[in-house]
Amino acid sequence: MKARLAVLAAAALAALLVASPAAAETRAATPIRHFIFLMQGGRTFDNYFATYPGADGPPPGTCQPRSAGRPQEGCVKPFPLGDRQPPPLGASSTTITSQYDRGKMDGFVSAYQKQGRNGVPVMGYYDRRQLPFYWGIADRYVLFDRFFSSARYGIRANRSYWVSAAPPPGGSGAVPAGGYGKRPTIFDQLQHAGISWKFYVQNYDPRQTYQNASLANPQTQTSRVPLVNYARFTRDPALRRHIADLDQYYRDLSNGTLPAVAYIASSSGDNERSARTITAGQHLVRNMVTQLTQSRYWNSSALLVSYDGSGGWFDHVRPPGSGSGAFGFRVPALLVGAHAVRGQVNHTVLSYESALKFIEENWGLSPLTARDASATSLTSAFDFAAGPRPGTVLPPLSAAPAGQLHAPRAPAAPVAAVYGFYGISAAASIALVVLAAGWPWLTRRRLAMADKRAARTGGEHL
Amino acid sequence: MRPPREGATSPVAAAPPSAAAAAAPPRALVAAASPRVSVTAEAGRLLGQQAPLLATLALAAFLRFWQLGAVGFNSDEAVYTGSAAALAGNTTLAPMFPVFRAHPLLFQSMLSIALRLHDTDWTARAFAAVIGIATVAATFALARSLYGRTAGLYAALLLAVMPYHVVVSRQVLLDGLMTLCATVALCCVVRYLESGRMIWLSAGGGMMGAAIITKETSVILLGGLYAFFALTPGRLRIRHLLLASLVMVTLVASWPLMLRIAGHSQTSQSYLLWQLFRRPNHGTWFYFTTLPPWIGPAVLLVALAGLVWLRDEGTWRERLLIAWIAVPVIFFTLWPVKGFQYLLPIGPALAALAGRVFARPLPRPPWLTWPSWARISGRAEGSGRLAALRTLGPRRAAMGLLAVVTVISLAVPAWARIEPSASATFLAGSGGLNGGRAAGLWILRNVQDGARLLAIGPSAANVLEFYGHQPVAALSVSPDPRNRNPAYTPVPNPDLAMRRGDFQYVVWDAYTAARTPYFAGQARRLASKYHGVAVYTSTVTVQAPGGARLVEPAFVIYQVRP
Repeated sequence: MKARLAVLAAAALAALLVASPAAAETRAATPIRHFIFLMQGGRTFDNYFATYPGADGPPPGTCQPRSAGRPQEGCVKPFPLGDRQPPPLGASSTTITSQYDRGKMDGFVSAYQKQGRNGVPVMGYYDRRQLPFYWGIADRYVLFDRFFSSARYGIRANRSYWVSAAPPPGGSGAVPAGGYGKRPTIFDQLQHAGISWKFYVQNYDPRQTYQNASLANPQTQTSRVPLVNYARFTRDPALRRHIADLDQYYRDLSNGTLPAVAYIASSSGDNERSARTITAGQHLVRNMVTQLTQSRYWNSSALLVSYDGSGGWFDHVRPPGSGSGAFGFRVPALLVGAHAVRGQVNHTVLSYESALKFIEENWGLSPLTARDASATSLTSAFDFAAGPRPGTVLPPLSAAPAGQLHAPRAPAAPVAAVYGFYGISAAASIALVVLAAGWPWLTRRRLAMADKRAARTGGEHL
Repeated sequence: MRPPREGATSPVAAAPPSAAAAAAPPRALVAAASPRVSVTAEAGRLLGQQAPLLATLALAAFLRFWQLGAVGFNSDEAVYTGSAAALAGNTTLAPMFPVFRAHPLLFQSMLSIALRLHDTDWTARAFAAVIGIATVAATFALARSLYGRTAGLYAALLLAVMPYHVVVSRQVLLDGLMTLCATVALCCVVRYLESGRMIWLSAGGGMMGAAIITKETSVILLGGLYAFFALTPGRLRIRHLLLASLVMVTLVASWPLMLRIAGHSQTSQSYLLWQLFRRPNHGTWFYFTTLPPWIGPAVLLVALAGLVWLRDEGTWRERLLIAWIAVPVIFFTLWPVKGFQYLLPIGPALAALAGRVFARPLPRPPWLTWPSWARISGRAEGSGRLAALRTLGPRRAAMGLLAVVTVISLAVPAWARIEPSASATFLAGSGGLNGGRAAGLWILRNVQDGARLLAIGPSAANVLEFYGHQPVAALSVSPDPRNRNPAYTPVPNPDLAMRRGDFQYVVWDAYTAARTPYFAGQARRLASKYHGVAVYTSTVTVQAPGGARLVEPAFVIYQVRP
């Protein structure tokens, strides 16, 4: 009887453990028990990391023709944007197709020129001065230089791949009247497996869903948050409660309720799609990383930051694949975490599906489509053997951060000179006192010696 | 030509040990004439002779080392030790504690050598305590030169237990070494006045130079010497003065020269301007209201009473000591910026004046004078001289008793001051900052690299930076360069900085809050507005006016986010 009770109790305990979020976390195959994926606006790798040391930036001699097929009109070389703030490039499907130019990758400038627009800014790039936080992240964690967007064009398309490894039903245009239908997402898989998840949305408005969108009221939230294009995620309370405002992310970190998988969509004010929002985006990501660093989850989490397409900017690497398996241009991607390899520039060919692949492998889920099934996981960016390393709060972005009490130092103190000057001064002052105190003794000694000499001289005379 | 020996009629001063030693026959001749004395016996004799001084030094050491590390650093200690550690090659503290700040670097240079051997806050305090003990010995030498050995012993004993000196010399402050150098300098001047030998004045100049390159405020003491020589003409030869001045100026010149070589001349000028024009930090009568309990009312009374009682025997010696005391007291009373420890160099001089009194027998009360005493005792068969001799012993004993009472009146508060006690208020320079070290160590262990903290004021910020090894900014640092220490950078718009995520923590502390309620309130508001969660709290148990013991928060660290 006792044995039976014990078995029952053990079974109940096991059932409890399996059902609880903590148990789901512990089911992770790697030390990563919390995976966070933040998606920002359209940027290419070369636009953000063209000159990052060790990364695959534009080779010397790179120059995009101003007009396709007319070399006499000259070309435009990549150039630093500095503090200039070019207006958003507004890349359409036609523009991106022209830029790609059937794989020749020579239409980045001319695509705009032939529209009567200035294509020169496309070749501009940022560096450490404008992106101190991202470059700082790359210095300390992992920068991927072969991370491709999943679709060549379209925010909706790329964000659909982001959650479902598939293009959106109805293409990258407007959401179909019935939404995205029954297309499975990674969150369905997680929900089914009992693994905790959340979709954090900055400035989340639960009323903005595909049902309310129209040409007059485009509802930008439906572009950046693919889940609000699904009927089940907007109507089923059991699923809908997983979509929360970004504030909840900070509360979850603080309260110890961070889910195993979290996706994050920023708002248009912070998504870096325009030059004006790059600093705001860095502030946002810095805050998120800082809070993660300071939380109890640091040792067991990883945060991936990427971008939902090229935004029309130049990138020199031709995307791999073709047909339905074709990828878009390279996008910046950074991995932050206690287990991320320190200062690695990762050259593995990856895409948004790589993150899905990692989630699926880590929590034992089956793939959603052939794209994530064949994708390469993110594992090459982790070093689990080394164990977790302490987090670092990266410096503020402002040129003169208000975070230090003391004024920035000028040159370092010349230690040898300090010791020399003060040592000589101290020794001299002590020597003078010793000399003064010993003066009578020296006098007596001199007198005694003189006496002795006199005595000796006198003896000889005698 | 030697200066005339004023005051040579004084029975004590007439034969100071140095003079006696000078008059003694050469040691070689004595050794040849007397039977051979065993080394052990000689050592025993010397030990017996020096036992009172050794006991005094041991008492000084006990009071300076007891519970030395029980409470962590205060702001000044953190700054000086941080600078010394930076000199010693501590790369963590170097960015937070610049070597070139407001003061010269003699103390920090010496301390840095100690820190190279053992880099702890206790080592730094022990270094300061050893300097304090050396000052007690220097006070003995000073008072012995002036008034003989007994006076020297009393003066050393008084300084050994004087709360003012005990408390300051237990801290890593420049004032301890400055006081030692100044006391030795004064001693050299006394020896010069007694012997007329130029070397003593040059040594005094050297020591004054050392005092000035320890802390520049000791230049005020030169005013005391000037006042003395102005009031006592004929005791100084121009040639001697010129040489001594040359020695002093040469030593002091190393400071600006060093700054120029290091490219920090501008830094020094900024500090000078700030010191000249900064706002008053205490009332005019701060020293008169604050210091007497720390110096000891008994010491002050005895020194003053001695000046009255022995006024007929007054010589240049008292004039020198009074000038030495009066000038800095007057200067710092008038000067708007006052530091608790600024007047430490007057301690040895006060102790010497009081020691001089204790070395004398108690004056005979009128009712004890001959023949009344003879009538009472009925033993006056001899002369008045015999009776006077008979009364000398009790009068010496009575004076001894008075000395003991005075010493106890100093030792008891000194003991109370060094016992780690909890207090929710704090006077800068009067001890360590309760709870500061614990909060700093919590930061060291729990705050991630690169995180930034915002404290109410720079004092607590310095302590937290020293122990926590993280940059800490301060709300109360003024954006107006005229109203802030040039070493600090302000937070012009704390709200914006918080919004940008420049800070991850806000630190509230009771000590700064008591001094600047406005900024303390602002710190609380920022913590509240930016989702502050208290992640660390330390408390102190304080005694309320009614006697009840209350638990008060000392440090609270809030984790904040935009």
